[in-house]
Order: sequence, then C-alpha cells, then structure tokens
Amino acid sequence: MKILEVKGLIKNFGGLRAVDSLDLSVEEGQILSLIGPNGAGKSTVFNCIAGVYAPSAGEIHFQGAKINNQKPWDLCRKGLARTFQIVKPFASKTVLYNVMVGSFANTDKTAQAEEKALEVLTLLHLDDKKDVKAGNLTIADRKRLEIARALATRPGLLLLDEVMAGLRPTEVDEMVEIIRDLRNSGITIFVIEHIMRAIMALSDRIVVIHFGGKIAEGTPTEVASDPNVIKAYLGEEYVVS
Amino acid sequence: MLTLVLVGVLAFGLPLVLRSPTYLHILILLYLYAYLTTSWNLVGGFAGVLPMGHAVFVGIGAYTSTILSLQYGISPWFGMIVGGLLAVVAGTLIGLPTFKMRGAYFALATIAFSEGVRVIIENMDYLGPFKLNGPRGLQIPPLKTGLANLLFAHKEPYYYIILIMLIAVLAFTYFISRSKLGYYLNAGGEEPEAAMALGVNVAKCKLVAMAFSSFLTALAGTFWAQFTLFIHPKSVISLDLSFEIAFIALIGGRGSIAGPVLGALLLRPVSDFSRIYFGDKLPGLHLIIFGTVLILVMLYQPRGLQEPLTRIYDRIVERLCSDKASEQIAVSPAAKE
Repeated sequence: MKILEVKGLIKNFGGLRAVDSLDLSVEEGQILSLIGPNGAGKSTVFNCIAGVYAPSAGEIHFQGAKINNQKPWDLCRKGLARTFQIVKPFASKTVLYNVMVGSFANTDKTAQAEEKALEVLTLLHLDDKKDVKAGNLTIADRKRLEIARALATRPGLLLLDEVMAGLRPTEVDEMVEIIRDLRNSGITIFVIEHIMRAIMALSDRIVVIHFGGKIAEGTPTEVASDPNVIKAYLGEEYVVS
Repeated sequence: MLTLVLVGVLAFGLPLVLRSPTYLHILILLYLYAYLTTSWNLVGGFAGVLPMGHAVFVGIGAYTSTILSLQYGISPWFGMIVGGLLAVVAGTLIGLPTFKMRGAYFALATIAFSEGVRVIIENMDYLGPFKLNGPRGLQIPPLKTGLANLLFAHKEPYYYIILIMLIAVLAFTYFISRSKLGYYLNAGGEEPEAAMALGVNVAKCKLVAMAFSSFLTALAGTFWAQFTLFIHPKSVISLDLSFEIAFIALIGGRGSIAGPVLGALLLRPVSDFSRIYFGDKLPGLHLIIFGTVLILVMLYQPRGLQEPLTRIYDRIVERLCSDKASEQIAVSPAAKE
C-alpha cells in the first residue's frame, strides 16, 4: 500500500520553480531516499509534504487522504513526522523535555508523555543523556535528538532531512543501524541524504531530482549506473557511452 | 519544599509582628507586583514573547468592578470575575493579530493597544450607561467595609488577600509549567518551527496563555482599586506599570516560577524607599536605578537573577546539610565507646 503519494507537485517561489511536476510514492514499510545535487529542491519537497509550504500545484496524499494545505501540527497528529536539516533543539531545555514535547502529541498526561519519551530515548541510546541540556549536545547527539523527538509523536511516516550530514563515519554507521531498526519496527521512512555510502546501504528505492524535476528512480544499483544521475552529479564528461 | 513552607509561614505571620502600616503597605504592593508579574510570566516568560501593555488588563479589572459596585451596588468580588472575563476578550483581541509578530514588533503593538485604551478612557466621561469620568477617575467611598465588599479600614485584610492570591497564582503557574500547555508554550517560544512539526499549534497555545494571563491580571486590577480607593487612567493603565512588570520579570528571571517573586522582592523596596527618601528631590530615581540594574543583569545574567540565586542558595543548604552529616559521623565513633 502507498502511504504517501505525490502527484504533479509544483512549487514556485516568485519566478523560480523549485519543484517541477514531481511524482513519487512511498510504499508502506519501505525506505525511500530522495537525492540530488545541492539546490535540487529536496528540502522544498519535504516542506511541501510536511505542510510548511503550500504547493503551487499538484496533490499530496497521505494514507489515502489529500493533505494539501494542511497545517504542520495537524499532519503531525495524523502520523507524519519530520526532522530538520538544520537541527532546531529547544536548546535551554533538557533532552527529556525536548522529547516530551513530541510525545505530548498522543497524550495530555505528563506522566504518560514522560514514559513514552524515555522509551524512545532508550531506543536511540540517548537515555544516559536525558538530563543534559539540548544546547550542550554534540552534533551527532543533536541529530539523534531530532529523530527522537519526531519518533515520540508515534509517526507512521518519518521524513528525515539529512540526519547524517556532519557525522563521522562510525556515527553514520550507527545512524544507518538506527534507521534500519525503525523501519523494522514498522515505520515507513523517507530520507533526504547526501552520504552515498549510507544511501546505498539503506534505501529500498531511490528517487533522484535535479532542478526540481525527477531524473531517475529505482533500486540503488539501478540509480548508481543511470547516465542521467552521473551527468547531474559529476558532469557530462564522466558518462561512459 | 521545606523552604517554601517556611517562607509561607513567615509571610502569614509577618503582620503579627510588623504593626507599621507603612511597611505593610510596601509589602502589599510587593505582593501585588509579584502577582502581576507572575501572571505576565505566563505569556512573557513561558510563551517567549514580550508583552509591554499588561496595564490595560489591570485597568479593565479595576474599572469594571468599580463601575459595577458604584453604579449598581454589585460586590467587587463578582465584578472581579466580570473584569477578568472582559480582559480575556481584550487579551484575545490583542493576541489574534499580534502573535505572528516577532520580538520588538509584538512589544510595540501591545504598547499601542494599551495606550490607545488609556487615551480613549481619558477622553470619555460615559461609555453608554457606564460612568468613566474621564481623566478625573473614579473614587470608591470607604463606607461599607467588610469582606463582602472587599473594603477594609485596616491594611491587614488586604495583606492576607493579596498573599493568598499570590500563592494561588504561583501554584497555578507551577501546575501549568508541568502540563502539556507549559511544554508546548516553552517549545513554541524557543523554536516555533520545530514545535509546529511536533504537533504544537503555537498560535493557539499562545492565545490560551494570553487568556489566562489577562484574566489573572485583571483580578489584581480589582484588588488595586479596592486597595487604593481611587483609580484614574494614568494610575491603572500607565506605561510605567507595564514597564515595571516587565522590568521585574526580566531582572528576576523570565519563564521561571520564582523569578517574578525574586524580582519583586529586589525591585519593589528600591522603588518605595527611593520615593520615600528622594521623592521630593529626585522623583523617578527608582526608574534610573531599575534601568541600571536591568543593564547589568542583562549583561552578566541574561536569564535573570533567579538562576545564580538558586545556585547560591542550594550551595548554602548543601553546606549546612554536609556539616550536620559530618558532625554525625564524628559523633558516632564516640557513641560506640
């Protein structure tokens, strides 16, 4: 079943077309990656899906229902959670506090929210840092906190925007492991990522965009050998013909 | 916890020792400002915006209960609630268009609203059937004293009423800060985009906080009117009042529960004593002192004095406890022998 379906998505910023008639869909239980060179429009696609931007044209369906123009907080309660490329922790608050803000999406009781938050923190191996102020965390832990907060809202679909950027190779491996575990626990995952090693290891399918339009789609091996993709990333002369 | 109970007992016992009406008056104003600032803190502290026109709610509370009791003989206790509800309406009206503004723009908009209301009242003798009496203000004749009329011949009852109100509002703030609303307000104040993505309707939360805050502030307005027995636009809807509330909060510590009380404890005496001793020579001296203190605090403790003070206090308690503990250890071998 398709949990997310994007049809003919267009987003204009004034005269600039950031996303150009993009079609894509995410199957339930899959890990789909969205890749593309800098400025290709990946984050704009995420922001349209998550309700931050209103699409200029096209339709977005989540769990069978149209979600165009819905507010981010409503989408979150429906089970669509996201992280931000530039992490936005509530810096003056503790890690536990940060995650509890997420877990309040499903409960009004503080005790229940705390319980759920601790559960998520254990899952992401952040439980020993629960009383640390979020502003004092390392970048790797901040990225993890972003995921923990989103996870605490109990999403069906999780949008991860470059959660591995800026991590060391060992940390990337840990993150890949975490994302796999999440998928295995039944959460569908849609990632934007630049680190090809991680993408190749993680993805069930990959969508490549360039100048806002889709240029390739398929399994990791298919995409890696696609001449259009090589052209977009490396330039014309690298295509073996 | 023990400290809180001790402070509470001390506060309740104080009028038994302190007979001077001057000092009681100063304390009543201190509690009143602590109360006002705590109410302000719901929006200004938790929600992370800077409202600078809270005096308008004090004015609404004061005028509503006074008009109702002067013209219709309705008890100020009832007028207090009506004033509170009217303030909620006003608070929502201010909040709806302004909560999308950031930083200084929100502060300016709230100042404008508050000043607007003051100018309107100053230029109006009657609002429909209600007598506002323009800039001359309204006087409450001190005739029917008693708890039912919230009118007393001595200061002590006022002292206890505002003390109970202060404790109630502090308890309410504590409750809110540990509730979903408290978490959502803090999150929305610090990183609105992230909060929205986590299911927080930031604007709605701020409006709810504003409603609570304006309601509670208006209650203090009624108390003020009944305490001073004379209100006029410049006294209850003045910018000075709005600013002093913000000063106390910023110096004490925005967003913390103890901050407003500490701030009032530190600043109110300055303002009262400077008026007593320098009132004729240097009027407004307290504002200069406030400004200087505010600059120093913002430079060295931008999150207010509440944090360093609790740290020092904790250290003292720790020292005392460890002294006791080491004494016990020292005593126990001797006991064995």
